[in-house]
Formats: sequence, structure tokens, C-alpha cells
Amino acid sequence: MHQNKGTYRLTWRAEFCFNLLLLAILLVAMAGLFSSCQKTSEQAFLKIGLPEEPRSLNLWLGTDANSRRILSQIYQPLYHRHPETLEIIPWLAKGKPIFDPEALTYTVNLRDAKWSDGSDFTSEDVLFTKQLFFDFKIPRYYSKWNIIKKIEALDAHTVVFYLRKPSAIFMSRVMTAPMVSKREWEAVAREALAKEKPLRSLQDHAIEKPIGTGPFTLVEHKKGAYIHMQRNRYFFGKGLKIGNHLLGPYVDSLLFRVYGTSDVAILALKKGDIDYYWGDIQPGYIKDLKEQTNIDLYFNKKSALYYLGFNLRKAPFNDKVLRQAVATVINKEFILTRILQNFGTPMHSVVPSGNHFWYNPKVRKYGQGQDHDQRIKLAHKMLKGAGYSWDRPPVTEEGKIVTPSDILLPSGEKMEKFVILTPPADYDPKRAFAGTMVQEWVRELGLPASARPMAFSSLLDTVKGKHEFDAFILGYGQLDLDPDYLRSFFYSKNDKPRGWNMSGYHNLAFDKIAEDQMALVDTQKRKDLIWKMQEMVLEDIPYLPLYNPHIIEATFNERFTGWVAKVDGIGNVWSMCVVKPVQ
Amino acid sequence: MRNQTYILGKLVEIAIIFFVIMTALFFLFRLSPGDPISKVVDPMLTPEDMRYLIEQMGLDKPMWEQYVIYLKNFFIGNFGVSFHYGEPVFKIIRERLGWTILLFTSSTILAAFAGVFLGKIAAWNKGSRLDSVMSISALVCYTLFIPWFALLLLWVLGFKLGLFPLGGILSPELWVGNASWFEKVLDIIHHMILPLLTLFIINLGAYLLLMRSSMLSVLREDYIITARAKGLSEKMIRNKHAAKNAALPVVTSVGLSLAFSINGGALTEQIFTWPGIGRELIFAVSNNDYPLAQACFLLIALVVLVANLIVDILYAYLDPRITY
Repeated sequence: MHQNKGTYRLTWRAEFCFNLLLLAILLVAMAGLFSSCQKTSEQAFLKIGLPEEPRSLNLWLGTDANSRRILSQIYQPLYHRHPETLEIIPWLAKGKPIFDPEALTYTVNLRDAKWSDGSDFTSEDVLFTKQLFFDFKIPRYYSKWNIIKKIEALDAHTVVFYLRKPSAIFMSRVMTAPMVSKREWEAVAREALAKEKPLRSLQDHAIEKPIGTGPFTLVEHKKGAYIHMQRNRYFFGKGLKIGNHLLGPYVDSLLFRVYGTSDVAILALKKGDIDYYWGDIQPGYIKDLKEQTNIDLYFNKKSALYYLGFNLRKAPFNDKVLRQAVATVINKEFILTRILQNFGTPMHSVVPSGNHFWYNPKVRKYGQGQDHDQRIKLAHKMLKGAGYSWDRPPVTEEGKIVTPSDILLPSGEKMEKFVILTPPADYDPKRAFAGTMVQEWVRELGLPASARPMAFSSLLDTVKGKHEFDAFILGYGQLDLDPDYLRSFFYSKNDKPRGWNMSGYHNLAFDKIAEDQMALVDTQKRKDLIWKMQEMVLEDIPYLPLYNPHIIEATFNERFTGWVAKVDGIGNVWSMCVVKPVQ
Repeated sequence: MRNQTYILGKLVEIAIIFFVIMTALFFLFRLSPGDPISKVVDPMLTPEDMRYLIEQMGLDKPMWEQYVIYLKNFFIGNFGVSFHYGEPVFKIIRERLGWTILLFTSSTILAAFAGVFLGKIAAWNKGSRLDSVMSISALVCYTLFIPWFALLLLWVLGFKLGLFPLGGILSPELWVGNASWFEKVLDIIHHMILPLLTLFIINLGAYLLLMRSSMLSVLREDYIITARAKGLSEKMIRNKHAAKNAALPVVTSVGLSLAFSINGGALTEQIFTWPGIGRELIFAVSNNDYPLAQACFLLIALVVLVANLIVDILYAYLDPRITY
């Protein structure tokens, strides 16, 4: 059969088609090159890469990091944090508020600002924003604004806030909430209130052109492709010096686009396709990026907390000494050098050290300055003193460190195996690896630990919803700079399903201080209590702070300069207001 | 008449299977750990806020009540609103589906045609150097690891040579300017080439090998000897007698691949930042966005079921020996 068959050759038709295809590819590539050359010469945009598509440009739904990056250029609060000192300074407000301790009122004067549609920003808008929070019980805002009894507008630019009781978080939580335009939202709110699910209706309302007072306004959101913003010609800050920065903005337009992986985003940055990647860069890229002369790298502290949490509701971690012994054997320096590759700081308190004003450097630091053997000996001594025993202890009579037998509880029973839950390595390799290391360190004390990665939503459901766990490693990537979260994490009443007191920490003395600090308007006095709270937490260690990674960011330096670095990086409204084209 | 009865029977079968899938999807999502807000790690969100959000999503109702609402909404064509995006699910799918079809369906069709063509050549030249080169290349293509290969193409053709863009579907700078309609079309094609090339190369291997093996078995059939005995030309035997019959399994495979192509490919879409349905499906599942995830899966199920039916009918058309 085969001997009759001639060898097949490509016919001239096939060759023609193939050449045609090649030609088409070449032409398209050329056309692309041509158009990209054209477009870069025609316009100058500040081009920013995002790791994910923003969820929504509706302020009440877009609570994810990427939406906030866009929305923070549009909707502005009355007060902002100073980028360097972190103090709360006037933004849409003019000057500090006047506090009347007798009447419990704050009087706030507003700037002569305009919304991006040209209408005036007035007291009416502030009153409307408050009403919106109350009518819709807007999560994150309602619970904070609930301390306000009423608001009065003395005139178009003066607002008086009447509080129910003195509040320490009035400035940090209430005054930093974004203001919305009554003109934009009034009809939407009225319609939503008439629905069966008012909040959901408000959140699902499609916003085409959000109206704000910020430095930029939205021109177009082409889903899956880009977000185009242009300079707000009514921006109140233009030409003003606020927070030691002379505000612009000095760029005409912002162009945001999404990159599905950080690998591609880094290539785009190196190629100059984007001027800034608004995402955290992994340490593995740093060597390569440092070799690029047209890339600037920024390393900043994060307001973050990554920690080991214990379940205090049940054995074995309902014993404080055991928790302290575990804290003693954990080598945070190892975590810093091996897991964070030196791009971070070991954490000793539950308030990050970057939050200089509230951070207490004097908390108890377990195992600090001690080598491996010293840690084991100290932890062994602590456990032995509390009645724990071993058939073969980790430290011999001669003081030698050996592999111990399983630890026996003070009752003489063998300790049951326990699990340290962590997020999976594909979600966060640092936490997964830290879990494995903690497992190894505590096993040196004879504790039968095993680290188990678990899908993130299941992990939260298990730890926060059901409280069915022994220990876990979790973290907060972006904590508010006001340390009131200490109350959320460790207040007895928050030990409930979905409550933030995941460890089940109960300490009446702590609760009392947590309540007292809430009512203190005097910052210095409040600081003393916040420091005391940190000391108590580090003494009882429901959470053991582990590490705080740096935020690593990069910019392409050939087109724009002047980024403002602060805690949590250079991606902030300050940068967008002051970044200038390179001369 | 028999064929019509068969098709009618198949349609009833599809309806039953679809209903089972619909029900299974509903309960699977709700019984899996967590809910749409369980992943939120924000200390500013109080437990009361969370309860309120759950209530606003209608997830506080008993499961049977939610199921009844789900069925009722489905039969009036209401797929609900995405918990995550706050947009109607139908709108989200419509937006994403277009991009997925453009990339994945076109790459499947192109790869199928090229695979049939090259597989035919390889089989006809069995044992030759050309066959060896083609078969080994096809195996390499078939086993390529998509993320690695996609990143390699991006690095070489996009970054080093600068011939193609680094992902996305268009150049924002061009679109926000005064570009003409023609330039915009050209721009999309330009962005499409690298992902298309990646998928084409990976799919090509499978079709080539399938066609080659099918063609080889057909070439051993008696009717091919008969065709030669009749004095037909080699070209006629290869193209009309052998290739047409050998393409039958490829048709089945292409039919199902086309159906599955609307599922997109999460990895390819992620690397090329292609806003297709594959990425969306992954996000929807990981965010517990029940309405969106359910609708995506239902769409895939429906298309696969219908494609199966079409392939069955097409088979009978292509092979007269098959009747139902």
C-alpha cells in the first residue's frame, strides 16, 4: 500500500497561505509598534498598574483595596492623616475642630470647596452624609458615627457635631470618613430606601460618573481594560500647602490598568508601559529591579500585624505559661531573615512599630537576644515550674539540649495533639512557612504540634465563626492607624461568632482600660492606656505578634517624579497630588 | 421520524440533567465553608455589620426558601445580582463571554483546522522524517505547561523584542485618544496575537495527534485498497476517502472543545489579563459569589449538553452508517 504513495509536499497554495499568515502577523505587530509610538508621543498619562480589577466604583460596595485606590482620588474626608507625622490634619475642613467639653460638641469649619460637577461643597453635604450612614446603617461607618447624637449646620460652611459621650475615635474614625454629594445621592438614596433591601439597592446602584471633591474625576471605566481619570479642575487643594506639600495635581490624567500576575506587571514596569505598579512586590524581584537604572524602589513600613493566635477557650492553650513558653521558643529573627528575606521587621507588640505614636516599645519581648539553646532552656524552666513534665525532658540535668519525649500536662496526662492552622502557601507562602517553623520550634519542647494549611475562607470560618481550633496564624495587611482595634481584638464582649476576639481572651482589667480609653479625648492620656493594653496583651499573649513585612514598591523614573512615601507605601492621594512630570 | 424521536428524547434527558446540575450547584455552594463575607478581614466591620450584610444578600433565610426563590428567578430569566460586583449576573457574563469566545473559540477552530491538515500529512507520511518531526513537536506542544509557555512568549515577543503588548485587550492610551475605528480593531487584534498563539500551539498538538492516529487506522481499511484499485489519484484517496472519515473523532473532540471553550482558561486569562469568563469563574467561586458562580457553571453545563447533542446529530450526518 505504502509503495504507491508519493511523499507529500506542501502545495503552492499551502505555502501561499502560510506566508500570508506570517505577513499578517508581521503587519499587525508593525501596526502595533507604530500606534504605540504614536500614542506615547501624543499624550502624557500617569500610568498605574493594579493587581486586580476594582470591584465597584460605587463607594458603598467598592470596599476592596483596588476600588479604594480609585475612589480615594474622588471622595474626600474632612480630615486626613499627615503623610509623615501621621497626625490628623484638616483636608476638606478648614482648621482644627473646636471642641466644647461641656456641651460635647465639635465645631468644624469647611473650606470653600466644590464638587467635581461645579456645585459647592456645603454643610448640607456633611449632614446628608451622616443621614446616609444612619438610614442605611452603612457597614464600617454607622457603628463609628453612632456616637453622634445630631449634627447642625450653623451656616453653609460651619457644622456642629453633638456627641452622645466623649469619644477618642471621633477624629480618627468619624472625621476621616468620605463625604458624598447630596446632589448626587439624594434621589438614589430615596429610591433605595423604598426597597426591601435598602443597603443592597444602594450598593448595587450603577455609578457612571462619581462626583467628588478629590484631585481627580472619573472619565471612563472600561471594564477589563482600563480606568481613565482626569484632573479635577475644581479640586480645593490646588496650589495649597497642606501637610508640607504644595498640592497639584501636576498630571493631567491617570490611567489604571490591571495586570493578572506580578511577573507581567514587573515586565510592564521595566518596559515603561506603566509608571507605577500599585501592588506589593515580592523580594525575589528586587535584585533584578535594582539593576535597572530607570526603576526606583521604595521600602516602607506597613501598618500590618501577622501573628500566632491561641484558642484560650480550651486546653492546652488556656494555660498562660504554656503560651509564654511557646512565645519564648519562637525565633522571630529567623522569620525575618529566612521568610521575609530581611524585608520587614520582627513584631513585638500588637501595634506595629511604624505607628510610632501608639507603639509601645517596652512590652515584654519573649526570647529576644537569646540563642536557640537559651530559648529552649528558658521555656523548659517555665513549663517545669508550671508542673509540666517529660519522660525525657528537652534539657538534661547537665544542661544539654536533646530531643524530648512528648510533654505531660501538670495532671500527668499526655498532651493531645494540636493543630496550627495557616492559610495555604499559594495564598500566602510567608504565613504557611511560618506555621511550619512554629511547629518545629514547639516540637523541640515536646509539644505535639502540626501545622495545617487550610483554604482561607474555611480557615476564617473555623477560627472566627465556629471557634473550633487550637492555634492559627493570620494577619491584618492594613490596620487603621488608630489603635482602637485592640479593643476589637481583645475585648471580652467581642468573643462571639464572627467577633474579632478570635482567641476568646477575657480579662476584666483589660476591658475596663479598653472602655476608658474610648472616652478619652486627651491623646496623651489615651496613649498611656493604649500602652498599658499592649503590655497586658503581651503578658497574657492571646496573640503573639510575629512579623511585619515591608511594603516594596517600584516606579519607572523616566517620566514622573516626586512620590510621597508614608506608612503603607507611596500609593496614596498625596502622591497623586504632588507627582510631577520629569523636566 | 426515528431521528426526531431520538432528538426529542435527548432534549428531555438534557432538561433533567440540567435541573439536577442546577440543584446540585445551589446546595454545593451553600454547604461549602464560609459565605460571601467570611473572607473579609477588616476589624472595622463589626459582627453586627456582617449579619446585616448577610441579611441584605438574602442569605439569612432558610435554605429551602432561598432555593425556591432561586428556581423561581431562574424560570423568569433572572440570574440575580453579583454579590461581589453589585451588577446583574447576566450583564457580567455577557461582557466576559464575548472576550472568551473571541479568544478561545477562535483558537480552538484554528488549531482544529491546522491539526487536521497537519495530522493528515503526518499519517500519510508515516515513518518519514517529516512524520517524526511533526509527531514529536505535537507531543511537545500538547504537554507544554501553559503558564510557563505563556510567560516565555510574553518575555521574548512582548518584552525583549517589543513586538506585542504585555497582556490586556487593548492599549488604553490609544482608546482614550482620538483613534479611528480601524485603529481600535487593529489594536485588539494586536493584543490578541500572543494569547491566541499560546492556545493555538497547545491545542494544535492534541488535534494533530488525534487526526494522525485516526487517519492511520482508516488507511488500513479495505475501501482504501479498493479506491487504489479503481485507479483514483493519491490526492483523491487521501483527501476524499481517508481524511473525511478520519476526521470523525476530531469532529467529536472539536465539538466538545468548542463547548468547553466558553469556560475559557483561568491560567491563560490570568497571565494575559484577558477579561474572560474563566478568571471570573475562579473569582466568583473563591469569593463565594453564589449568583455569579452558579450562572457561569449553568452556562457551561448547558453549552456542553447542547454541544453533545449537536455532535451526535453531526455524526449521523457525516457517517451514513449511523442512524438513531
